[in-house]
Amino acid sequence: MQAVEYFEVECPEPLGAEYYKQIANDVLLDHNLIRTIQKLHIYVDPGVPIFVAVGILKKVSSMVRVQDFAAVNPLEGKIMLVLANETYLAPMLKIFWTRFGQEHVEQADRFTVILRGVAIGAKEVEDIVIADPSESMYKDLIYAFKCIAPEGFRIRRERYAKDKFFFVSSEDTLTGDVDALLRSKFEMMGETMP
Amino acid sequence: MILVPVTYRGGIYRHSEIMDLIEDIGGYIVQKHVIAQEVVLLCFVPQDDIEILRRMAKPLGGEVTDSPLVGTEIAIVIPSLEIHHLPHPACDIAEYVRRLGAKSNMVGLARGVGKRIAALNDEERDVINEHDIAVYVLGNFEKCIEHKMPILRRGIDVPIVLCGAPTKEALQRIVDPPVDGYVGNVGRFMHRTKESDELTKLDEIISEITRVLEKKRVEIAKDPLSVAPARLMDLINENVPKIHEVTSPTPLTVQMSGLRVKLPYDTFAGDIRKIEIEDNITIGNVAQVTPSRMRDYILLKILPFSETNVVV
Repeated sequence: MQAVEYFEVECPEPLGAEYYKQIANDVLLDHNLIRTIQKLHIYVDPGVPIFVAVGILKKVSSMVRVQDFAAVNPLEGKIMLVLANETYLAPMLKIFWTRFGQEHVEQADRFTVILRGVAIGAKEVEDIVIADPSESMYKDLIYAFKCIAPEGFRIRRERYAKDKFFFVSSEDTLTGDVDALLRSKFEMMGETMP
Repeated sequence: MILVPVTYRGGIYRHSEIMDLIEDIGGYIVQKHVIAQEVVLLCFVPQDDIEILRRMAKPLGGEVTDSPLVGTEIAIVIPSLEIHHLPHPACDIAEYVRRLGAKSNMVGLARGVGKRIAALNDEERDVINEHDIAVYVLGNFEKCIEHKMPILRRGIDVPIVLCGAPTKEALQRIVDPPVDGYVGNVGRFMHRTKESDELTKLDEIISEITRVLEKKRVEIAKDPLSVAPARLMDLINENVPKIHEVTSPTPLTVQMSGLRVKLPYDTFAGDIRKIEIEDNITIGNVAQVTPSRMRDYILLKILPFSETNVVV
């Protein structure tokens, strides 16, 4: 987790903390979320029992544009797009169909799309925004923390506001004390609770 | 005649000669795997004749190794079949014991998760008790293991090997009454076991399982079984043709003191009881043929000599 500015796991059992640090690292890496997290503090107390994760996210400004995953080649009367991967193929076709009409969009094969008789240049095609990764980030983040948290902690509370988030879970009802706990964990990172 | 569990690994060329030899010297082949050009035979061979097998295997490029886990059925018990425990580490452990010849079954508990809410139901208890040994793969916290272990082991009468993230000493301290084996530093983790220290841990689990099973073998030897489980396997193979139509990888699973037959109990139990072993002694005379809690299978529990007064 070198990319994360602050990453701590706090637990009354030091060995448990070590294991949870490894679990959080593995899960966030698997879900490609490491580069979106700036600070992360996890607190697990099996005695209560409770699992808390508080964090600050990095600004994810980069929209996914056509140029990020395809080479745009202007040819006579058409523009040929050669895709490096298929991840954004479906949303891209959807956007092209809406914008240019299905009769102007031809998909030659899995990795080739041809735009015929469209009124815009190759440069403009390259700049078309296809996806905004921040839209699904909240969902991905909560899913990741559900994997990290001890199993059976099914009572959950989570919030995501601007660049801050928290996730609390337990197998017992969450009481009002949780707010104070969350505040203290944000303070440990030098931040305030959202 | 003492039968010892061994594995034969060799090329597919002339492997039938090895199979014939094993049968001729009075051994039993429990499982046969053909993987591309390689053959793996998990078998029981008379102790005095292992050298004959080794001599025969040498010119064929084959290798005979001791496999103490052959002929055992092991339950890998995990709190649930959720992503938290699958595929690592439970699958890794289950696969590792399989490689060494055991038949492993994953038992994911319906409500084994959490600390206060953890529970074990009667079906799970009975399924675990049908195995030779249960390997409990629990989590990362001493407090949780201490709290839930008495609940998860309630009614379990097979030996238990407990794995968890706390050290072996900590596990021994928190589990009361003690279980049969402990392996520390193997808790919940979310990556594949491929580093050398992790593989060492898997080896440690195997040696702990082997140690506990060896103890059980010694116990069984004090009052020997009326018939060897592998012999019953052979008899059922010969007398119940339907067993060859079962698509399961091990239609007959050999255990240390019994056998799991993967055929419906209602249809086949009567026929199996009547199979004659020798001199009018039938399977029903020397073994309890009961319905298994696992699907509708049949479970054979071989009775000891003290109960039947015969050894065949």
